[in-house]
Amino acid sequence: MNLKKTIGSWITDRFDVEKIREPINYQLKKPLPPHTGWFHTLGSLSLFLFISQVLTGILLLIYYRPTIREAFESVQFIMTKPYLGWLYRQVHAWGGQLMIIIVFLHMLRTFITGSFKKPREITWISGVILFLTTLGFGFTGYLLPWNQLAYWATTVGTEIPAAIPWVGDWLKTFLRGGPNVGGETLSRFFVIHVIILPWAVFFLIAMHLFLVRFQGIATLDPVGEEKDIGKKGIPFFPHHLLKEGVVFFILLGVLVTLAIVFPFELGEKADPMQTPHAIKPEWYFLPMYQVLKFAEKMWGLLIISLAPLFLFLWPFLDKSRPRNPLKRPLSMTFFVLVLLSLLIFGLMGYFSEKNVKIFNTDYHIDIYGMPHKILPNATTEPTHEK
Amino acid sequence: MMIPAARSESGSASACVSCHEDIWGEVKDSIHAKQGMSCHHCHGGDPSQKDSALAKAPGTGYIGIPDKKQLTQTCGTCHSDVAFMNPYGTRTDQLARYHTSAHGKALFEKDDKRVASCSDCHGYHDVLQVSDPASPVYPFNVPKTCATCHANEKLMSQYGLPADIFEKYKNSAHGTALLEKKDTGAAHCASCHGSHGAIPPGVSEIHAACGKCHINEQSNFLGSVHAGLAPDKKFLQCAACHGFHDIQPASPELFSQSCIRCHTDESPAFLVGKTIQGQVETAEQTFHTQDQNIQSARSEGIFTQDEEAMLSEMKTHLIEMTTKQHMLKEGKIAPLLETIESQAKEINNTLQAKRNSIRWRFLALIPLWIFIVIMVIAFILKYHRMDRNE
Ligand code: HEM
Repeated sequence: MNLKKTIGSWITDRFDVEKIREPINYQLKKPLPPHTGWFHTLGSLSLFLFISQVLTGILLLIYYRPTIREAFESVQFIMTKPYLGWLYRQVHAWGGQLMIIIVFLHMLRTFITGSFKKPREITWISGVILFLTTLGFGFTGYLLPWNQLAYWATTVGTEIPAAIPWVGDWLKTFLRGGPNVGGETLSRFFVIHVIILPWAVFFLIAMHLFLVRFQGIATLDPVGEEKDIGKKGIPFFPHHLLKEGVVFFILLGVLVTLAIVFPFELGEKADPMQTPHAIKPEWYFLPMYQVLKFAEKMWGLLIISLAPLFLFLWPFLDKSRPRNPLKRPLSMTFFVLVLLSLLIFGLMGYFSEKNVKIFNTDYHIDIYGMPHKILPNATTEPTHEK
Repeated sequence: MMIPAARSESGSASACVSCHEDIWGEVKDSIHAKQGMSCHHCHGGDPSQKDSALAKAPGTGYIGIPDKKQLTQTCGTCHSDVAFMNPYGTRTDQLARYHTSAHGKALFEKDDKRVASCSDCHGYHDVLQVSDPASPVYPFNVPKTCATCHANEKLMSQYGLPADIFEKYKNSAHGTALLEKKDTGAAHCASCHGSHGAIPPGVSEIHAACGKCHINEQSNFLGSVHAGLAPDKKFLQCAACHGFHDIQPASPELFSQSCIRCHTDESPAFLVGKTIQGQVETAEQTFHTQDQNIQSARSEGIFTQDEEAMLSEMKTHLIEMTTKQHMLKEGKIAPLLETIESQAKEINNTLQAKRNSIRWRFLALIPLWIFIVIMVIAFILKYHRMDRNE
């Protein structure tokens, strides 16, 4: 106890603690709206995953080498030699997947509760940028182990912007650092993944959180009719923080369990001379990839670039006042339709170029995601019309 | 005598072709025609005469169809001429060697016209380069070419020679490598018997014939007790255990099968053979077991590079062992077997350690989740307690 006092007076002797105590207490005790529940923990879970990615990423950086000669081998080394190397590689790989899911769910939550509406448009926009940078982490990180899947998915992925008129080719070369995916691409993606994106996200999160705290968590009251929370609110500390603690522990357990039970395989080292069958991007890019297959290249590109544009502009397009989802039937119908189409295109992309059995009949799903019955005596796969 | 340098008149310019157009059809794609040689270089005659009688008139050197002996001389005119053949990089001792061969001796000493001479193996009008896969003496085609005579039972019986050699060879280790696996490096007839100087290797030279390819086996064999045996035709060196035309891929089983032909099954020599057989078999089995072990570890998702490297070291020792066994000294094999066994143990241990570590990862999940459940319950209890206090 004496020690605590000594340290306490040491500090109060030097700093005017009383002055900061007030705002800190205010921030801690500030009541959250009564509807604040489990879904409001998704934001802090995103933050937790980002911190976990930074920490495991730093550990990976100790042994990772971003050259085409060493990248694959260094990841293999990490997975076999250093103490717990397998664990932090798997936690980083799974963390990346979970972060995309959790950030997406957090976005859905703020959409459903109408939190994006005035006055929180900028919080939403910073959120959209965070979502896109999270996808950017996924795209650039996927190439780093320099294995076959990564190499070819990146080859296909960097081909997409080439369809943009006038600047397409320049953009493709800019991304790849040359005509093909190679050592220069790896260096670029590496720098983007470990320097540019982490710092960008760091500052974006700082701004995002400042705005959230500064404006407070949105209530369910319609825009312009916000009532004082008063006594009905839930204190941030300790009440909401305890809830965040609960989901934090569960997420930690899920992350480590996935890392152990379903480890990511490294596969074969990238071989530019050997193209594998049915190259596909990571699952979270599948809906976009599937849309591109249907449309004429340039139109497809236009369609998929409309999606982020709509996300950015949404708070300014939907200026209706209610926040409660039950009072926004139109927006909610639109929302469900978008989710369904993501799901359907995603599934079509997932099953394309595979054979599946449905009710005891074999089907070949063609590249467009359309099933064709496989005739028992057919020797070759049915060709796709179109 | 034909003058090799006189190659000015190519076939198409030669008057012979105006009557013998069909024959020129056979000749025109041959290596000789491509080098500008024509009819008269082998058959004599005057290619500038339009009249057939004048072209073949006495004094033109016309010989018509050369007989077997003449033929060897005709070919030899150019092919034994060192200065002339030099630019082509071909040897010039073929005729000299032919004279030392069983074929050549029979032809020149016994005037036996049934034996093979140049054209029997190389063809005549349509001679191709040896490196041309269509040539009858390209490695893949040699056994068939020799078999034209050596599989002819009627002909061979006149010499007291077997006619089943090709059949035996075809199914041998060498034969399948050459004819089925298309390995041009595999031994064919000429590899052991020579080509132009074809004779069966003498009993005392068998190891030299095999040793052309199997260098280490030969040198180890020369260090064995068998090497010094007098060449009395009873012990056939390599062939004593392996056979010759129908040689099969060797296995340690050979010790049991071959030693017994000369040694009784209680003799010390036989027991040495049995011991070595046991050593080699153990080594092979050990290698195979670890190979399987690594493969199954890989299918479990375990990284096995280190173990694979060790396995290939084991393989090197195993190969060394299979050559060293020809010394017939168990003491030379024992250290190799020891190394192989200790490497196998190491592979086994490291794989076991990797498997254990994976098992531990799964077990670690139990305390982790117990901890998480406790924390979650504690937090929720605390939350509800605070709720009530308010
Ligand atoms: C790395 C990514 C992100 C992190 C770390 C993060 C973090 C947070 C945190 C901790 C909160 C407060 C608690 C909560 O509502 O969950 C929050 C609120 C919010 N976030 Fe995010 N966020 C991220 C991405 C996004 C995205 C992608 C969007 C939407 C496009 C978004 C939009 C919002 C909005 C509108 C709020 C205010 C919620 C309200 O007032 O009810 N955020 N964010």
